[in-house]
Amino acid sequence: MQSSNMINYDYSVAKLFAFATIILGIVGMLIGVIIAFQMAYPELNNLAGEYGTFGRLRPLHTDTVIFGFLVSGIFSTWYYIGQRVLKVSMAESPFLMALGKIHFVLYLLVVVAVVGSLLLGITSSKEYAEFEWPIDIGIVVIWVMWGMSIFGLIGIRREKTLYISVWYYIATFLGVAMLYLFNNMAIPTYFVSGLGDWWHSVSMYAGTNDAMVQWWYGHNAVAFVFTVPIIAMIYYFLPKESGQPIFSYKLSLLSFWGLMFVYLWAGGHHLLYSTVPDWVQTMASIFSIVLILPSWGSAINMLLTMKGEWQQLKDNPLIKFMIMASTFYMFSTLEGPIQAIKSVNALAHFTDWIPGHVHDGTLGWVGFMIIAALLHMAPRMFKRELYSKKLMEAQFWIQTTGIVLYFSSMWIAGITQGMMWRATDQYGNLAYSFIDTVTVLHPYYTIRGIGGLLYLIGFIVFTYNFYKTITAGRELEEEPQSTSPMAA
Amino acid sequence: MNWLNDNVNLLGLLGAAAIIIITVFVVGKYIKQIKNEKSTGELVGEDWDGIGEYKNPLPIGWSLSFIGTMVWVLWYFLIGYPLGGYSQIGEYNEEVAAYNTKFESKWANPDEQTLLGMGEGVFLVQCAPCHGVTGDGINGKAADMSRWGTELAIVDTIVKGSKGMGYPLGDMPAGMLDKESATAVAAYVFEKIAKAGKSKNSDLVATGEALWPTCAACHGQDGKGMSGSSPNISNYGKPEFVVDVLNHGKKGDIGTMPSFNDGRLTDIQKLAVGKYVNSLIE
Amino acid sequence: MFHWLEKNPFFFAVAVFVVIAYAGIVTILPDFMNSARPVVGTKPYTVLQLAGRHAYIKDSCNACHSQLIRPFKSETDRYGMYSLSGEYAYDRPFLWGSKRTGPDLMRVGNYRTTDWHENHMLDPISVVPGSIMPKYTHMFSNPANIETAYAEAFTIKKVFNVPYDKADMPKLGTYEEATKMALAEAKPIVEDMKSPEVKAAFARGEIKEIVAIIAYLNSLK
Ligand code: HEC
Ligand code: HEC
Ligand code: HEC
Ligand code: HEM
Ligand code: HEM
Ligand SMILES: [Ca+2]
Ligand SMILES: [Ca+2]
Ligand SMILES: [Cu+2]
Repeated sequence: MQSSNMINYDYSVAKLFAFATIILGIVGMLIGVIIAFQMAYPELNNLAGEYGTFGRLRPLHTDTVIFGFLVSGIFSTWYYIGQRVLKVSMAESPFLMALGKIHFVLYLLVVVAVVGSLLLGITSSKEYAEFEWPIDIGIVVIWVMWGMSIFGLIGIRREKTLYISVWYYIATFLGVAMLYLFNNMAIPTYFVSGLGDWWHSVSMYAGTNDAMVQWWYGHNAVAFVFTVPIIAMIYYFLPKESGQPIFSYKLSLLSFWGLMFVYLWAGGHHLLYSTVPDWVQTMASIFSIVLILPSWGSAINMLLTMKGEWQQLKDNPLIKFMIMASTFYMFSTLEGPIQAIKSVNALAHFTDWIPGHVHDGTLGWVGFMIIAALLHMAPRMFKRELYSKKLMEAQFWIQTTGIVLYFSSMWIAGITQGMMWRATDQYGNLAYSFIDTVTVLHPYYTIRGIGGLLYLIGFIVFTYNFYKTITAGRELEEEPQSTSPMAA
Repeated sequence: MNWLNDNVNLLGLLGAAAIIIITVFVVGKYIKQIKNEKSTGELVGEDWDGIGEYKNPLPIGWSLSFIGTMVWVLWYFLIGYPLGGYSQIGEYNEEVAAYNTKFESKWANPDEQTLLGMGEGVFLVQCAPCHGVTGDGINGKAADMSRWGTELAIVDTIVKGSKGMGYPLGDMPAGMLDKESATAVAAYVFEKIAKAGKSKNSDLVATGEALWPTCAACHGQDGKGMSGSSPNISNYGKPEFVVDVLNHGKKGDIGTMPSFNDGRLTDIQKLAVGKYVNSLIE
Repeated sequence: MFHWLEKNPFFFAVAVFVVIAYAGIVTILPDFMNSARPVVGTKPYTVLQLAGRHAYIKDSCNACHSQLIRPFKSETDRYGMYSLSGEYAYDRPFLWGSKRTGPDLMRVGNYRTTDWHENHMLDPISVVPGSIMPKYTHMFSNPANIETAYAEAFTIKKVFNVPYDKADMPKLGTYEEATKMALAEAKPIVEDMKSPEVKAAFARGEIKEIVAIIAYLNSLK
């Protein structure tokens, strides 16, 4: 069998998606910072007429970070990892090369369509599935192309046993395909009536059913976009960067199948105390709690992989990012289940505690892992040393501070808000008018804005570092085996 | 405010604490292993891009916790929220019943002070978005509570008419009397019909009484509204009249005041907010 | 035990798909028909209300406002009767929201009125000091999209048998009839408003977004 070092991997598609990850990351997080400050200083809604209001920008934030930053990060790492763990180069198949490049171009076109349409207020309102049907079709095409790329590469692989990361990429592909299709079932109204906007459509499901389908999708979008592919990344980058074997195959196996089985049942925890049947809600709470262990399984496997490697953790900022990511992964996959217990959800639902939960997952787990992945790939894709270790260290602490400010302020805000909504006075009447519960949050919204700004600053530092690496980093003769080379 | 008497609040706070404590404890345990232990084990055969895998067994703690959650699941399923035996609407009904028993006695014979306090609370939550926190009507966007119920407001009503409460007699026409006569009638209504106290224009009460038949045509000799044909203005400026407004709503010249018949306010709360509104009249 | 599966990508993918697919079926399908049934009195939206609903969606009011009253005393005191499944039978898409930066609006038609909405949408802090809701001045100049609203009503009538034109149900009729009815429905709302811009446009036969969205908000009961 050919040794992997002798294969000439082709990173051209991985590089394109890496650039997209960075640019869309900056845009999406910048909008995040803007909407965060809008909640503290509402005058900021007036800066760009109707296009700058919170309602227009919020979906733009979520969709840019999820389908821009995250998904291109997933694609980039797939086009990098896929070749390496399957021991086959994309260059060996002109078809796969061409497919990858068209995949990227189409992806960019859809990104432009998404940004434009959301700014214009063309949306179907469903969270994380806002796009109208023409864009949905584009997304399906992109997804199918990615699937062809995955299975195409697998088809010509040299390494017969699929590595853990590949399991997770396959699951990402299948899960998102299934969920996205069902949740976006809609009828374009123009084609039935011959009137009105051609892009407008109406959902196939109504009311409670629509809600069930949406959160079956929404929760599992968390599963198959925020979690599964990120686990794929950490299973490759952490052992590779540290040179340590994975702690336990058995733990990997049980965590994977456990996660697959349990996740899909838990969507109802977004609908607790709503009008969906009681038994569906109970099922959702139950499976959410069980979900802790398959989630923690992967994280623990990562921590134990680093057993005895304290020195690396201290010296290598990439390892730091990944260990912190695992920690935040554990944090948010304990927080989520606890919020899924009915009586806790009664307090937490609809409050800022939920965005708090969202961002310790997305900033701490997703963001840090993608950053570490890009940093690991850079010296190998561009054959240059990482430009500055100091900048990475600084970035790590700036961003960690940002995350802590973000989630701690939102915890306090959310719990305060939840308690004030419920509070009664000595006569048994509601104690607070709604606006009382808004104005108390001002300081926390400000702190969150600052936390978000710190995270964005860290990301810009990272961008600079990445840019300098590929333009001014010392050139490398040979690809590093494990630890990424970096200049002080 | 006894926030911690509320079991939802309490569980919420416990949950928050648990998240932090458990994560710190567990991650701390593994960090210790990163510091002090050495990784060993037998490797599986493959080598993926230089990555190997140990065949280590499952960590005991993890496995036990997994089983632990399953036990919890059984409990939740069979006892906590028994399938088929739990209904959230049933739980709501219990919550309301418990609330009612708790406050029934308090509300049975409320004294003046209780009503005022209760009313203030209701006003700030339900009425302030339109009438303003101080009840000033926010620059004429809704009725100004310090003016409503006064003699001057009666004069206004007579001169400008009144509409939008939906009484069988319809609207009260504008301009029935000139300002001067209206002032006199207002004095009479204030002092004798509504018995709201001594009129500022006590000397005009007799003149007003002479003009009263104009009004009595609709409101009745006693001003009680002829059994529901028009508002009972012997209550004007009193809590009972506010209750009347809350029950009817009012689509007037300033704007529209919604009715409050959707069950959010009980009769006692309506009376209480009436009392409070009453206290705002200057 | 599983090692053979990891060497067979096809069976591996099939296995993953099976494991992830059936939870959805088990939890969503059993109550599907039941949840689609309207409660007595629930009616489909009129064309004007639908146009308002589209404006609501266009500006993502649902990013800050829920439309779901949970069965807690604290919520029924604040917003009114808790929500019932059948009340949403004509909501495509559902608009429950997932965040209450602003209050729930499920029954806001019971306790807010046209004139209040006009003031509030134009400048929220003019009625609610401290509000962090944006101003929606552009709704006073953008026209409501009656045509697309009609297209949607027409589509759901045809495809999902939504009972337009049935006894006691809103009339839909032809597009011409529907525009006339929308104007008639908008009239009392415009009369309760102050904005000269909106009134002038209405005199020309044009309905602004703000009128449609108020019609929608007033219908939420
Ligand atoms: C044509 C019948 C009619 C006559 C005559 C009439 N009223 Fe009224 N009055 C009404 C009706 C009907 C209402 C309730 C109107 C509404 O919906 O707000 C009303 C309301 C009122 C109110 C309450 C206004 C408010 O703020 O809610 C007062 C005070 C009042 N009338 C005083 C008088 C006095 C004093 C006169 C005589 C000068 C008079 N009315 C003559 C029919 C009449
Ligand atoms: C959606 C806005 C709104 C809310 C909420 C509201 N009001 Fe009003 N209210 C008005 C407007 C507008 C008027 C003036 C109607 C007119 O005369 O044009 C008014 C008038 C009144 C009047 C005078 C009616 C009369 O006789 O002329 C009283 C009393 C009153 N409101 C009490 C209350 C109380 C008590 C509450 C809360 C429990 C309340 N309102 C809530 C808008 C509101
Ligand atoms: C940035 C968040 C935000 C957005 C976006 C937003 N709102 Fe609000 N909304 C609020 C807040 C906060 C309040 C409570 C303070 C107040 O009444 O202004 C509120 C209050 C309201 C109320 C009053 C409800 C009540 O019970 O008092 C209505 C009606 C309303 N909004 C409608 C809308 C509509 C329609 C849109 C979209 C066109 C919208 N809101 C968009 C934050 C928002
Ligand atoms: C065991 C795993 C998890 C469980 C059981 C879980 C549970 C929950 C619960 C109960 C909510 C709140 C629903 C509500 O009341 O509105 C929620 C919201 C959310 N969670 Fe998680 N969570 C988990 C992990 C994660 C992770 C790792 C991420 C991201 C990286 C994440 C992202 C989100 C997002 C984006 C929302 C907001 C959804 C919305 O728009 O309302 N979750 N989760
Ligand atoms: C600079 C960093 C960021 C800031 C300041 C920020 C800020 C915000 C704000 C203010 C909201 C709206 C909360 C609300 O409506 O109350 C939000 C929502 C959201 N953000 Fe971010 N964000 C950032 C980064 C990210 C990243 C990197 C991701 C994903 C990878 C992300 C995913 C989300 C999601 C999923 C939601 C919706 C949450 C919900 O509906 O509950 N954000 N963000
Ligand atoms: Ca769609
Ligand atoms: Ca949300
Ligand atoms: Cu979820």
